[in-house]
Amino acid sequence: MMNFNEFKRLVIDSAESLGIKDYELYYATSESTDVGTFKHEINEFSSSVDGGVCFRCLINGKMGYASTELLSAEEAERIVKSAAENAATLESEEEQFLVAGGQEYKTVEKKEYALPETAELVKTALDVDAALYAADPLVIDGSQGGAGVYTNRVAIYNSKGLDLSCENSSAYYLAAAVVSKDGEMSDSYEMQLGSLKDADIAKTVKKAVDDAKAMLNADVAPTGAYPVVFAPRAMSSLLAVYSSVFSSENAQKGLSRLSGREGEKIASDIVTITDDPFYKDSALPMSFDAEGSPTYTKNVVEKGVLKTLLYNLKTANVAGVKTTGNASKGGYSAAVGIRPFTFYIAPGSLSEEELFKKAGKGVYITELGGLHAGANAVSGDFSLQSSGFMIEDGKKTDKAVKSFTVAGNFYSLLNQITALSDTVEKPRSGGSTAFLSPTVLVEGLTVAGK
Amino acid sequence: MISREVCARVLAKAVSTGADYAEIFAEYTVNHAITMISDKVDSVNDGVIAGAGIRVFKGLRSVSASTVDTSEAGLLRCAEKAADALGQGTAAISVNLRERLFGDIHPVKIVPSTVANAEKVAVLKEGYFAAKEYSDCIKQVTGTLLDVDHNILIASTDGVYAQDRQIRTRITVSAVAEKNGEAQTGFFGPGRRMGMEMFEHEVNAHDVGIKAAEQAVIMAGAGYCPAGVMPVAIGNGFGGVIFHEACGHSLEASSVAYGLSQFAGKLGQQIANPKVTAIDDGTIPNAWGSINIDDEGTPAQKKILIENGVLKTYMVDKFNGRRMGMESTGSARRQNYSYTTTSRMTNTFIAEGPDSNDDIIASMEYGLFAKSMGGGSVNPATGEFNFAVNEGYLVRNGKICEPVRGASLVGKGSDVIMDIDMVGKQLDLGTGMCGASSGSIPTTVGEPLIRVSKITVGGR
Repeated sequence: MMNFNEFKRLVIDSAESLGIKDYELYYATSESTDVGTFKHEINEFSSSVDGGVCFRCLINGKMGYASTELLSAEEAERIVKSAAENAATLESEEEQFLVAGGQEYKTVEKKEYALPETAELVKTALDVDAALYAADPLVIDGSQGGAGVYTNRVAIYNSKGLDLSCENSSAYYLAAAVVSKDGEMSDSYEMQLGSLKDADIAKTVKKAVDDAKAMLNADVAPTGAYPVVFAPRAMSSLLAVYSSVFSSENAQKGLSRLSGREGEKIASDIVTITDDPFYKDSALPMSFDAEGSPTYTKNVVEKGVLKTLLYNLKTANVAGVKTTGNASKGGYSAAVGIRPFTFYIAPGSLSEEELFKKAGKGVYITELGGLHAGANAVSGDFSLQSSGFMIEDGKKTDKAVKSFTVAGNFYSLLNQITALSDTVEKPRSGGSTAFLSPTVLVEGLTVAGK
Repeated sequence: MISREVCARVLAKAVSTGADYAEIFAEYTVNHAITMISDKVDSVNDGVIAGAGIRVFKGLRSVSASTVDTSEAGLLRCAEKAADALGQGTAAISVNLRERLFGDIHPVKIVPSTVANAEKVAVLKEGYFAAKEYSDCIKQVTGTLLDVDHNILIASTDGVYAQDRQIRTRITVSAVAEKNGEAQTGFFGPGRRMGMEMFEHEVNAHDVGIKAAEQAVIMAGAGYCPAGVMPVAIGNGFGGVIFHEACGHSLEASSVAYGLSQFAGKLGQQIANPKVTAIDDGTIPNAWGSINIDDEGTPAQKKILIENGVLKTYMVDKFNGRRMGMESTGSARRQNYSYTTTSRMTNTFIAEGPDSNDDIIASMEYGLFAKSMGGGSVNPATGEFNFAVNEGYLVRNGKICEPVRGASLVGKGSDVIMDIDMVGKQLDLGTGMCGASSGSIPTTVGEPLIRVSKITVGGR
């Protein structure tokens, strides 16, 4: 099988023989090794390699795409021909662009460390496994230690002199705790990215086990309208689902209510939301986006005012602004879309205790579920499975609650945020996109339980 | 694809360090999708996925490795990697592959990859503009026509050497309706394991568009669903997602083998209401979730999972079956070669019952009729699940009243499956994609109209 550079040469020849002048090759691969335990043994080991090449070309103003994972001479010819045919099928009239070479890109600063060998992955997973069982007598079989390492590579080459590439590797380990009491099970997991040498396994395992134990025999929350305090994990998952409303593509297509609202107030004064491609703890800081434009840090919402939506070249041209460097691809074969990098609600100044005090009587939600189904990005309506703890007399209690929903509307919620904690979390995502939030107090949501 | 001789040599390498089972899964898949938005064809996605995954087992240990290089040298390297990861040892089994031919129970008449873009665009436009022109309230429509030609080959030291060609076609239309400055959505997306002949007799593209638009318009005029515990009638077809989430996932060996299921160790026990019989059937001709063979080469089966409320079997793959002491039920599935196979659902549904639709609605003094459902999720260990109501109506005094929006249903699988106390007579199936550790795979859900006597409705 040929390598990318050999394949690239054939694709270029093929494009030129068809008289195609404007084209791009986007190449992405990923390699990973993962191990997992069951009952003190490594029971699963997997090593995976995948990835492919996407060719796109501009013909009569239309951008046609075709992709392949098979780097062969036949495929080099096929993707060029298919992309040209696909371009002829397109009707949308928005102007399409390729990025010219020779632009300036900010240098990415990354903490480099030696990637673990398989033996170290195995040892870490077994150490986590042992720590889980040692942490508490309620821990049962099915609890799992895991560790892994992955490397992602991206390269973009085009006919306008662009030739970019980046490579990123990371290790991780995870602890999945399952506890059981009186025939009822509860589980929780924690994952840590970064060098395994710095791993504080005991701390990670304790958090997973404590969280699982806290939810044992949890009650269903009572139905009502309460102040709700969202833990960072819960609010960042909500932000992730609704990040699409900040896409200019969605706004231009009428799929976001933020269409035409740049410069207007859309959130409480205390809300600032930032998109940072160079976030210090990001697993994959990026100096260029999926089109090859340079990236930069910007406030999307500043003190409640929508400063900008996120743009790529096509949508920026439609709006008459500059790209914000947020072109993205959901996989090598996908059409160019829009996505943030590390997208976070800026922390406030209060402690979590102060948020509980402000809430008085309410619900503290630590986890949200079913976000792909229960949250509608077009209407903003959400109704989501939740778990957490009751807040009484201005304090978080140990009364765990689960199997209830929290319902509201994201566009309204932005205005219903009344306090933010000073909590700063580390990204849990291994990719270039991550969502972060402090602990957030929201007034006026409905809880449905018993 | 890869010859029997090459497979035999690769498997011999894979078991060379003492594995007691080895398997090659190779694929060549052509994906094609045309998308329309703002009345124009906006993108055409056209891609080839090709590669191979090799797995080896030794007792209760599994090693898997994947590669994009399916030349003999590439496969041998991948096999060696898997064999090395398993540890030290020597080969104890010999590889003897026998080609198995399976009848194709899902015939395809018009292979989509041989149909020109223009012809597909014409079908898509029929659905797209049916939605767009349904009402002045419809402000935006997204439509996609996708087809997949998934060729798989499985060879294993069990002697299996088998191939399958899985062709699927699907049309989806999503409509946005606006009333009084608020936007609501409607969606419909039927698919089949068949080619473009799907549009001749199975699926009418125009009706797909109408259905999506109608839902969006109804919901745009609806008030919020109230919150609380109440009886809920769940409509047939995609409503079967309730069984998929509340129960189906907890019957997969991937959770049962590890004790991480509310239904582990309960074979032969009454786990559901006696009204409930549930089936997973990969053999329904041309259904979206159907297969001829699973991704370990085991022929598709029809399994009664629950009969009159009693748990009869789980859905089992070869690896997890070892831990459970059970044979494969033809349930091994993976999105593609780079995922590790595990047990999954195919076409899974609640069978017809004795109750009439009228009696079910009439039995409810105050409750919700969830006519159309969205997706959901579940934690199989605790059984806590959720799923979204796309189109709901309040029921008062046994009559269907005004539409309500923004609701989801939550509960615990082992409770809700006991509370399904009325089951209607008209079974219908719905098309979906199911995501889990082995990736996103096509699955069918289904049921007749059912009543759940009490469930938490997450309204506001």
